[in-house]
Amino acid sequence: MNNTLDFNRLGKVVKHDGASFAQNLSLALIILWSIPLVIWLFSSLTPNNGHIDSYSRISIISTLGTILLIMAPARLYKYCNDSRQGIRYAMLPASSLEKFISMVFYCVIVAPVIYLAGALAIDSILAVLGGPYEGFAIADYFNDLSQFRHMVRQKMMMGEEDYTLLANCLSPTIIILSKALSTLAMSSVFMFGNMVFKKRKTGKMIGILILLFIIFMIIMVNYVANHEEQISRWFGYMNEENTAYVITRMIRVSINASLIFSAVVSVVMLWLTYYKIKTQKY
Amino acid sequence: MIKINNLDFAYKNTQVFRRISLEFEKGNIYGLLGENGVGKTTLLKLICGLQKPQYGEITVDGFTPSMRQPQFLQNVFFLPEEVITEDTTPEKFIQKTGVFYPRYDFDLFNKLMKELEVDLSKKFNELSHGQKKKALLACAMSLQTDYLFLDEPTNGLDIPSKALFRKVISQYCSDETTVIISTHQVKDVENLIDPIVILDRDDVLLNASFSKITEKIFFEYGPERLDNAYYTEMLPGGYINVMRNVNNEESNVNIEALFNAVMKNKETIKNLMK
Repeated sequence: MNNTLDFNRLGKVVKHDGASFAQNLSLALIILWSIPLVIWLFSSLTPNNGHIDSYSRISIISTLGTILLIMAPARLYKYCNDSRQGIRYAMLPASSLEKFISMVFYCVIVAPVIYLAGALAIDSILAVLGGPYEGFAIADYFNDLSQFRHMVRQKMMMGEEDYTLLANCLSPTIIILSKALSTLAMSSVFMFGNMVFKKRKTGKMIGILILLFIIFMIIMVNYVANHEEQISRWFGYMNEENTAYVITRMIRVSINASLIFSAVVSVVMLWLTYYKIKTQKY
Repeated sequence: MIKINNLDFAYKNTQVFRRISLEFEKGNIYGLLGENGVGKTTLLKLICGLQKPQYGEITVDGFTPSMRQPQFLQNVFFLPEEVITEDTTPEKFIQKTGVFYPRYDFDLFNKLMKELEVDLSKKFNELSHGQKKKALLACAMSLQTDYLFLDEPTNGLDIPSKALFRKVISQYCSDETTVIISTHQVKDVENLIDPIVILDRDDVLLNASFSKITEKIFFEYGPERLDNAYYTEMLPGGYINVMRNVNNEESNVNIEALFNAVMKNKETIKNLMK
């Protein structure tokens, strides 16, 4: 018998964890699914039947999805590091790797996919019913993105090379990859927080993230203040001819940086979560 | 077999064990006794792999518990003093947990639930503390693991339930099962446990079977208090004197008196039992 990874045993762990999935997350899912419905109802009741575009709807769905990602680990695995309740989890005859894979499966894949499928289905039904929601949000979102690229091209008088670069940076594949990686990063941060903190797990992790953000902003503001001349010189190089060239490259660098950042955060946080599962004492 | 060699363990600044060595042989029902805070629960947690020794080694059938390997975990079950409060029935709980244990027997679970008089239809959080404990005992026994660790199992049980507990443990534990019962309630486990392990702060004062204990120590029930006794206690109708068995006389172990005798004469009895 393999003591690290056995697929038969992994299946049992997934089934074991799945048994309490609906019980622990169904209420949160129902509340999150009902928010777009409430917005639709209120918008329908406004005198001019306020139209909500697909970009705003996708933004609402993705914000609510982020809330789900933040709360899922603590809802599904809150007992894991509890000195009393966690004993059952630690003593379950499965390896730490199998328990970790199951945790990632439910927090990173199952919970967001179920939420997203439900949210898009509700949005589509509401769009069919008419009123403030028009068109299918996800399809319109990518259409809007395409229109945005064309608009930028026209406004900035982009050449073929710059436009191809921009199109590649904002392609559906990159957008989906970026969303998937940021989902993984967000989820892994809160999975780690769930294993580290015993009480008020989500709140403490949000507090730490806010603190890190403030520290980062202080460093950035100081950097900008100390390198004002250098930064002014960089922007001085921009003129009418090379603005599109510079902007498209800046977009590419920032998207690549965010992809790398999300990937690094995900790998580090997932490894730390696994390490905590393996070494947690009760 | 459980082997503990030169174990050191401390919680932050509180030393619990200092270089203790101990063995638990297979097929016995051990009574783990000691005053409050000596580390009975900690010892069980160390053997289960819920804590890691800071020095020394623990092996259970060759496995290192702190590694929590599935092959090790499928052969041990730990029933903590504070029981779970799951929003599920014991039946559903054992069905989702039992699949991990190779010798799990659902029929035995049902049989034990009936014998222990636990309502099958109720969820854990609808059961009383004693009922929860009995339900979890039925779960633990039906998994048929080689090692069963029970921390204060009789706390919260009423008198008939304590008798049922003793019956179930003695009837359904196989000859291969090692049970370690950590308890303060020695009367509850009398006639069930043998051998006895008595822990003290940093040390193991006694680890011996009843036959070895009575070989060295004599439990005298008589009308008077004896001066040369390690420990004397007044009982209804006389005294119990715990003393050295110099004449190789046979006697019955009184666990409570033995415990008190050991606590009052730590080094003497430790050396006597060597």
